[in-house]
Amino acid sequence: MTKELNFKSPSFFERIKSMLGVDFYRLFHTPLFYIFLVISAIIPAMVSCLTMMPDQSGNTMEPLYSNVWQIIAASEPLYVVRSIADYANMNMVFIFGGIMVSIFIGHDYKSGYVKQLFTTHAKKQDYMISKSLTCAFAMACMCLTYLIGGIAGGAFAGYAWDINVGSLIIAILGKIIMSLGWASLYTFLNIIFRRYFGVSVGASFFFGTGILIIGVAAIVESLSLPASFLNVFLYGSSVNACLTSNIGTLIVCIWVSFAWAFIYNVAGTYILNKSDVY
Amino acid sequence: MNAIEIKNLTKSFGQKQALCGLNMTVPQGAIYGFIGENGSGKSTTEKIICGLIHENGGSVKLYGKPHTDLDVRASMGVLIEAPGCFPSLSVWNNMMIQAANLRIKDAKKEVVKVLKAVRMEGAAGNKYKNCSLGMKQRIGIAMALLGNPKLLVLDEPINGLDADGMRIMREILTDITKSGATVVISSHVLGELEKIATHYGIIKGGKMIVEMTAEELEASCRTYIALKARDMNAARLLLSSKFSRVVEDKAGYLRVYDEVKNEEIVKQLYDNGIVVTEIKNDKIGLEEYYIDLMKEARK
Repeated sequence: MTKELNFKSPSFFERIKSMLGVDFYRLFHTPLFYIFLVISAIIPAMVSCLTMMPDQSGNTMEPLYSNVWQIIAASEPLYVVRSIADYANMNMVFIFGGIMVSIFIGHDYKSGYVKQLFTTHAKKQDYMISKSLTCAFAMACMCLTYLIGGIAGGAFAGYAWDINVGSLIIAILGKIIMSLGWASLYTFLNIIFRRYFGVSVGASFFFGTGILIIGVAAIVESLSLPASFLNVFLYGSSVNACLTSNIGTLIVCIWVSFAWAFIYNVAGTYILNKSDVY
Repeated sequence: MNAIEIKNLTKSFGQKQALCGLNMTVPQGAIYGFIGENGSGKSTTEKIICGLIHENGGSVKLYGKPHTDLDVRASMGVLIEAPGCFPSLSVWNNMMIQAANLRIKDAKKEVVKVLKAVRMEGAAGNKYKNCSLGMKQRIGIAMALLGNPKLLVLDEPINGLDADGMRIMREILTDITKSGATVVISSHVLGELEKIATHYGIIKGGKMIVEMTAEELEASCRTYIALKARDMNAARLLLSSKFSRVVEDKAGYLRVYDEVKNEEIVKQLYDNGIVVTEIKNDKIGLEEYYIDLMKEARK
């Protein structure tokens, strides 16, 4: 005679809660996270300070910036950059973040952890949501350490401090909010290239640099569309969060970040559902 | 009720057909020994059951529900190939991560319980990457046991286990089925499997060749006469000329598989001046049964 067995199905919130708990536990227990936090702080400080160093002939280089906050965000939305100064701002976090996400998710597959996970957590959407949120949090933290590093470097270099505080706060908040969209993109890329760790790191780096926006910008220009059209892209909105931002910029950032996060989560879930996991 | 019911399961990887219409039935409460050669489709079947890979065709039902059903899947314990642990984390942390995934309320207590069951409580603080192969297998078994699973799927769990580890695993699996749980275990260590399995499934080339209970296996296993003689060479030559299948086993016995009485063999040898020093009747085990079956399948 066989015993009666009862099966209990966990709710969506129970599943997400447990998966987020595990992902955050792993995030805080991996040196990777802290290394990237430090990198995010060091890079802006270095960029600010190095340009103040004297060269071999004893002359100091021309400073990249005139203002502390230019290392945090560009003075205006520069979709196509022309100099390192246009490029070196908090958007660089989205490049480091991509590499961090690739390593973080790559460990799931390399260690075989996904076997344990997907056997009991049948819903692949849980994985996408949890990874996107955890990595967005990590990238938001990197934005904050970047801010600290940028301020410290700017202060050391002796740049001016004057700024429209409201625009600065909106720019920082906008970039932090954009972390969700970027984290979802990187999670999606890592799902596609899950069997090829090197490719996923390369793809994350490629998308993070925003190289693709140059091509799109050319198309937008040839079609005589306004440059603000580029804000529909993650990179465009991230650039748009600059030192002349207003509340409209923040709303655009929220919309774009959440819309892309939704799209990438749906697409990633679809791919996981349709392909072999391990 | 059957814990697992698979019908016409097919799966291919590119041009390679891994499963060709596999049928499999695992009754609830069984310890199902899943046997087959390397590349026969055992791991593929187990991965499909666990939802790690998708089938191309056929159906898989767990406790009467589709294998994608969350209710059942949340009650599974799995050890496929090697445990899925993070190398730089401790055994304890890896276990706690799995406990959190399974939403176990009293996680610490449960982790201590399963680590004690596999005699690994002393290694809880060790980093996973520093554990030996046998320790890793024990951790994998402990991880699969977390949350009192109703269905355990174990792929080669005996690999790397020492004698004590194998004995512990036998006890654990026998105990767990008493609570109504079902175990599917694939292994090449057939002698060990024979000690615990209540049902068997033998797979070859992605197809199930035979499914049977332990009792049916017992009945199917042929008997033979094993003997030792003073002049083994002469005995072998004589018996080979009289009977259809005579082989010498690893222990140095001559085995006669034909249906014949002991007395008749002794008499025939005696008449030819060969003295029998030892004679006994025995049955072939799972390993020999399996080897015979594979030979027949190849023909």
